[in-house]
Amino acid sequence: MTGVPFVLPALAVLALLILFPVIYTGVLSVTNEQGVFVGLANYRAVAEGRLTATAVWNTVYFVGGSIVFQVVLGTLAGIFLNQQFRGRAVLRSLALIPWVVPGIVAATMWAWMLHTEFGIVNHLLTSGGVVDRSVGWLTDPDIVMPALIAINVWKLFPFVALMVLAGLQTVPHELYESARVDGASFGDEIRHVMLPQIRPVLVSVTLLLMIWGLNAITIIYTITRGGPANRTLVLPIYIYRQAFEAFAFHQAAALSAMFFVFSLVLVWLYLHAFAAQEGRP
Amino acid sequence: MIRVARLAAVGALAASLACASAEPGREIVWWTPSWGQARAEVLADKFEAAHPGVTVKLEVTVADGLPTRIQTALRSGSPPDLIEAQHAWVVPYAQANLLQPLDDVIEDRGDFLPASLEYDTWDGRLWAIPFRIETHALFYNRRMFREAGLDPDTPPQTWPALVDAAKTLTRTNSAGRRQYGYAITGGGEVGNTLFRTLPLMWMNGGDIVSADLSRATVNARPAVEAVTFYADMLTRHKVSPPSTLQDDGLAIRRLFVAESVAMYQSGPFDIAPIRRENPALDLGVMMLPTPTGGEPAVALGGWSFIVPKDAKQPGLARSLVRFLAESENMGYFTDTFPARRSAMALPRFADPILENFKKMLTYARRLPAHKNWLQIVQVYFDHVQRVLVGDVPAERAMNEAAIEIDRLLASP
Amino acid sequence: MTRGRATFFVAAGVLAIPAVCLFPFLWMGLSSLKSARELYAVPPTWLPHAPTLENYRTVLFESNVPRYFLNSVIISLGSTGLALGLAIFASYGFARFEFAGKRASQAFVLAAQLLPTSAIIVPLFITLRVLGLVNTYLGLILVYMILTLPLSVWMLTSYFRAIPVELEEAAIIDGASRAAVLFRVTLPLSLPGLVAVVVYAFVTTWNEFIFALVFAQDSRVKTLPIGIAEFTGEFNTDWGAVMAASLVMTLPIVLLFFGMQRLFVGGLTAGAIKG
Repeated sequence: MTGVPFVLPALAVLALLILFPVIYTGVLSVTNEQGVFVGLANYRAVAEGRLTATAVWNTVYFVGGSIVFQVVLGTLAGIFLNQQFRGRAVLRSLALIPWVVPGIVAATMWAWMLHTEFGIVNHLLTSGGVVDRSVGWLTDPDIVMPALIAINVWKLFPFVALMVLAGLQTVPHELYESARVDGASFGDEIRHVMLPQIRPVLVSVTLLLMIWGLNAITIIYTITRGGPANRTLVLPIYIYRQAFEAFAFHQAAALSAMFFVFSLVLVWLYLHAFAAQEGRP
Repeated sequence: MIRVARLAAVGALAASLACASAEPGREIVWWTPSWGQARAEVLADKFEAAHPGVTVKLEVTVADGLPTRIQTALRSGSPPDLIEAQHAWVVPYAQANLLQPLDDVIEDRGDFLPASLEYDTWDGRLWAIPFRIETHALFYNRRMFREAGLDPDTPPQTWPALVDAAKTLTRTNSAGRRQYGYAITGGGEVGNTLFRTLPLMWMNGGDIVSADLSRATVNARPAVEAVTFYADMLTRHKVSPPSTLQDDGLAIRRLFVAESVAMYQSGPFDIAPIRRENPALDLGVMMLPTPTGGEPAVALGGWSFIVPKDAKQPGLARSLVRFLAESENMGYFTDTFPARRSAMALPRFADPILENFKKMLTYARRLPAHKNWLQIVQVYFDHVQRVLVGDVPAERAMNEAAIEIDRLLASP
Repeated sequence: MTRGRATFFVAAGVLAIPAVCLFPFLWMGLSSLKSARELYAVPPTWLPHAPTLENYRTVLFESNVPRYFLNSVIISLGSTGLALGLAIFASYGFARFEFAGKRASQAFVLAAQLLPTSAIIVPLFITLRVLGLVNTYLGLILVYMILTLPLSVWMLTSYFRAIPVELEEAAIIDGASRAAVLFRVTLPLSLPGLVAVVVYAFVTTWNEFIFALVFAQDSRVKTLPIGIAEFTGEFNTDWGAVMAASLVMTLPIVLLFFGMQRLFVGGLTAGAIKG
């Protein structure tokens, strides 16, 4: 018996849902407002768009920066939450909170907390003597993207921790024991027992984070709208703006198609680099 | 009017409802935002009473994502019969062939503020009926004026006087709190800063684009001076708080309510929140200051009724619009001011604090209608932000903006 | 040295995690107890000077939130169940079999998640309209498959792969069908992975805003995120109510996970070691 009957239901549902949108977007991207076929005109307009290059670079910066810290901090947190200690259950639930808080609410809250004038963060920093002047977390062009990355990391590292925690449950006890018999320190345990075992999970999780990051619009849009001066403009926001704020529906479709291909390429490259894990029965 | 750039799109209910309802042809669907829901229900009941057999189904929308929701519905082939939309969206929708013209719905056009009807007009036809209009004026804190040694009864009327007052008001007060004289916006949605800078250009004799929409004039001297005047509040005079680049209209109102800021520009919709959040605040409203020897100008904001082209009940929808546009109903329904002069006489508009807002209405102008207007103002705003950030001086930023705007004006 | 390092690590974690995760949440909770005047004070206050339950009264008794809570529960449970069911089978197929077009199918599943939301919202709406599923629970549950299924399949595939094939082969030799093996051998061993997928799918659909906004039109079907958006007027957000509603929205999930997290234990016993 083959695997086909197993995968068919899921494939059928997805096909039903996305086939029409893909065709619709494709048709939109090669026509104009009057419904006339215009070939690649929309694509050209987008490629030459003043902000396209900025959006691409910002997206890479945002996604890359986020992933690094999400994975590192999430893995550390997952390992930590796997240890035995009192109150572990409580801490595991607390750790989940950033991910569970609704995106718009979390984003608005952070924008409020980081406000230069009435934000609690600056208030605590200045009254605690840590800094003498309020920091322009969201107004200083050099700080704003790192600030948004930090918020994105805060929001998603619990998810990584969760996945790592689940993955760590498959590590056989024997491996820990034999490592300890060999005189391994805790750090060695992490490096030689845990990490190799959860490697497939980490590969998967990083892929998921990349996909999410590429489509992440809520945090940045809510907090800075892509500003100031487009410092934080990422591709999903650019597409959204074109479609629903600029009424440039057809260009938005072209941009979406290009973005989709761009994402596919990134994902393919990533899978290829880590394809060692693939296909092994 | 400025904050509502986020709007929700709701799918068309009409299709599934039309199948479900027993009597096809007697129900109309009206999308109304949540903040006016109670009043909409009263008017819907009134209309149903006057038209037996007709049901008005109210669909309540929220501010978040509203443009997305409306556009999705308009393009889906199955939209509601009546939608409330901001004036600025009407012509773009009409140009995308999504609306029905409503020329015959009102007869007494002279009763309406001319700028509001112009806003909804394109290609010689009227595509929406305005019911709500508002403009900005300048809010100021009278107590802070007195404390700084200024007379709250003679607020500044010219740009130089405004700068001087703002500088005087930017100080550390007797309680050790740092205050700022005049808050400008630099963040949030484009509309916030557009509504606060474009009128400055108008007052100075300039504009973002030429009257015939053929070329950008944002880099001409009057416009550059206006942008410089605005940006200087933050960069040179430092009378606007350091948070400016992340502040929209709501944020500067909060700073005003907290009495960290002495003056800021906004609309009459801020009066109720200010009174609620700080009843002790001694509130004053002044006309927008002008360049020395200039005339006031201000951007018109507000909302209109639109009927989608694919509405299932166009006849009933037009009846409903006509009903809602009657003087008494309009005066009841609007959140700020009614578009009809006759409705302005209603008692609810007699509050003395509204005086200067009413005066500003006479100087109200509509924003230009070009197919790519929203992209044009996005470009404009991006460059204004660059000036506020300190990347470039205003003249260079506006020159670069003009190049792109010219391209947008010319593109099909 | 090992013990010392481990203890330090634990201690650091015990302090860092609550601080980092909890700080905004604490801020949210404290804010929900403040009146409008205090919420906007400059400089901001940390503890409420005059705590009030007004916001909770608004949220629980004067808004649509209770009804939306029910809708959210139904829709999230439905989506999670459907996604889990479809994903279990699909992941098993991808993890244990080779067949023609497998690579392409996996790519297709992943690609579905890469479509930008802004691009697919209008055509999805038209699809639902044609199927008669606008403003229904089923419609939303179906649409949420785009957001949950691809990643669930991908995650579960890697969890299934981590389970040694030898364990399954033993059962197959004994004559069990593949499906039976899946349910009797693989699933019990991959419980943590299943829990992770359930949590992911539930949380994703619980917090989802834009699809719900477009495809759910009246209070029979609207979900909690829309309920929160309803506290934002044109120029005013009832911030206290938003904070209270967010707490109402977040707490159940945290409690749910607290109950489920004891499933994150074990490891492979049964004596099988890889390699």
